[in-house]
Amino acid sequence: MQHSPSGNTEQFKQSFREEAREILIDLETALLELNERRDDQELVGRVFRALHTIKGSGAMFGFEKLASFTHDLETAFDEVRTGRLEISTGLIDLTLAALDQIRDLLEEDSAGAPAADPVACAKILEQVRLLAGIAPPGKTNKEDGPAACSVATADAYGSGPMRDWYIHFAPGPDLLRCGANPLLLLRELGQLGGLAAKASMAEIPPLAELDPERCYISWDLILSTAADRDAIRDVFIFVEDNCELSIQPAPVSLAEADASTAACEADRTAKALEDKRQGTPGRRTYDTPDTASSLRVPAAKLDQFVDLVGELVTVQARLSELAARHDDPDVAEVSEEIERLTSALRENSMNIRMMPIRGTFEKFRRLVHDLARDLNKNVELTIEGAETELDKTVIDQLSDPLMHLIRNSMDHGIEPPEIRAANGKRPMANVHLSARHSGASVLVGVSDDGRGIDADAVRKRGIEKGLLAADAEPSEAETFALIFQPGFSTAKTVTDVSGRGVGMDVVRQRVDSLRGSIDVASKPGQGTSVTLRLPLTLAIIDGLLVSIGDAFFVLPLANTQECIELTQSDVETANGKHLANVRGQLIPYIRLREYFNIRTPRPKIEQIMIVETETGRYGFVVDLVLGDCQTVIKNLGRFYRHVQVVSGATILGNGAVALILDPERLAQDAVRTIAHGQRGRPPASIAAAVKQAQHEGAAHQRVM
Amino acid sequence: MPFTVERNGGLSRIRLQGAIDIDCAAELKENLSEGLRAGGRLCVSLEDVTGLDVTAVQLMWAAARESNGAGVEFAVEGQAEPVLSALLYAGFESFPVR
Repeated sequence: MQHSPSGNTEQFKQSFREEAREILIDLETALLELNERRDDQELVGRVFRALHTIKGSGAMFGFEKLASFTHDLETAFDEVRTGRLEISTGLIDLTLAALDQIRDLLEEDSAGAPAADPVACAKILEQVRLLAGIAPPGKTNKEDGPAACSVATADAYGSGPMRDWYIHFAPGPDLLRCGANPLLLLRELGQLGGLAAKASMAEIPPLAELDPERCYISWDLILSTAADRDAIRDVFIFVEDNCELSIQPAPVSLAEADASTAACEADRTAKALEDKRQGTPGRRTYDTPDTASSLRVPAAKLDQFVDLVGELVTVQARLSELAARHDDPDVAEVSEEIERLTSALRENSMNIRMMPIRGTFEKFRRLVHDLARDLNKNVELTIEGAETELDKTVIDQLSDPLMHLIRNSMDHGIEPPEIRAANGKRPMANVHLSARHSGASVLVGVSDDGRGIDADAVRKRGIEKGLLAADAEPSEAETFALIFQPGFSTAKTVTDVSGRGVGMDVVRQRVDSLRGSIDVASKPGQGTSVTLRLPLTLAIIDGLLVSIGDAFFVLPLANTQECIELTQSDVETANGKHLANVRGQLIPYIRLREYFNIRTPRPKIEQIMIVETETGRYGFVVDLVLGDCQTVIKNLGRFYRHVQVVSGATILGNGAVALILDPERLAQDAVRTIAHGQRGRPPASIAAAVKQAQHEGAAHQRVM
Repeated sequence: MPFTVERNGGLSRIRLQGAIDIDCAAELKENLSEGLRAGGRLCVSLEDVTGLDVTAVQLMWAAARESNGAGVEFAVEGQAEPVLSALLYAGFESFPVR
């Protein structure tokens, strides 16, 4: 008789990998914080528990090499916990190096993943053992099985008083299917101290009704340990969403606890019998509501879901258009209901994609730590606004630009300690990462308190490279924009870190691809601040649909404040100045008809859309405001990729194409063209994009 | 192959081998059910077993419980010491069956 394996093993391993990656991020953060605050026992405990969890759960899910490699690191931090070993730079650096190997060990079976370096692993372990005074393998009996482990680790956990804990552990219906093994969990629990276990079989149903992949057994346990409740709970960290778990101080004595356990057992037996009488054999509370508070979903599935919602939004807009044309109240009612539901679905789906930027920021602690060491500089990383949320797609693409900005800042911006001291600066330099919302955008900043950018050197280099005319007098912003040109560098030497003029170009390209923009501010001797303005989402936005002649445009609702009328008399009283008086405040306005070169007659009454930008309030003059719309953002073709004032296009319900305007860039560009005396003459590419949108829209409408 | 089944007259012997876990739980259930239906004596041999997980334990426990009502003589034989100790450590005091 042949047995066919269920084939779920890889799925379980993948779940463990995902959980472990998060633990490793937290571990790295804790190590770097510990480097700054070496007496912080809570941080020591955090590092120890993370290592313990990686080791124990790794072994449970079949990552034996990983578990074995982590064992001595865990022991070293146990020594720290018990005061027998001091935190040192050596131990932190070794543990960080070990983390890199653990990451590789974790992915070892994954296709295309780098394999861990066995020589590096062995060297790290040798140094850790030397540092912590741990005997090499074969010299102790720590690996001899549960009983031996119990003694060794119970001793290591002995930072608090010994006490007894009563633990009730009842696996949930899916615990086994998730690859967890309760017996290994008990063994790991036993490593914390003396364990007395009693398995309850009361809920095992008749064989015919028994689901062979579900655990019906529960346990009542007494654990005598010096470990605290958190350490005990950590044993169950990977299954806590899929089990009933209670950890209570044990009643007075073990004997009473036994009695209590027996009473619990009797209660459960009685309950099982009662359930059986009621025709619900072996049923536990898990069969009703799901106790899991969160669900892990592959990113690809989420992307597909959002794409489908995007399509639905487009179709819904078409339905609304049709319903408006057919004067049928029933159709109109259904259309409105679908519009309401689609709107709610869209909002929900977008919220699912929103993630805090914390994870991205936190991982740069390691980069700053390693670079500071390599460059012999003292640098602290500070983080602000880590909870700011933005679309996962945007977050995924932020790592590279931020890395290049930080590397550049640390290599060129931050001065060596002796120069900082000579300049009266504090020896510890600062790199600051920040994030905050601003309308429909997120501002992500990288700033430092280094020497600042030498604008003259940048200008000279720009002239040398033919990017500026020899007699050019660029503004500060135009000068700083040069550093993002391909191959541009003022560095006299190329280092391992930067100086080739590649990194900043990568930043610009990536930010462009995200439809973002970059602002640079710098003061000599005081530092540099680079701000990336990024869209909150790349998929769907709320917008206001406006028209000028035959052309449709969408303005992001988040930027739009109000709409006022612009009459002929308003224009006449302004004496040719493009200024609107809004409740006593003069607001400059831009005629989009002129800006986009749309040659259709102007209506008598126009509308001014007042928008808020980083540089102030502006008015955009349009013919008509058609109403709000949910807008699925489609990329412009590659020919119009460089049209900065348009962030994308969308297809309207009637099949017409509308360009989605970027108010920030539109305002900046309009101000710039006005400053250069080119009012109403936009770059040819913008006018071409508008013309094509009009053309495609008309073609679409003919087809419909 | 984690187990083989032999049928000889009134005796059904399920011989388990290696690590018995969730991957073969459905098949073990099927064989235990067949053994109970066949009547006579049902014997599970653990002689070549290196490890048993909870799926196997609860299946054998259920089979043993039902064997009484079914008039079947159920037995577990050849329990290796390490396997037994691991089960005792995990609180299965009455293993293999009550």
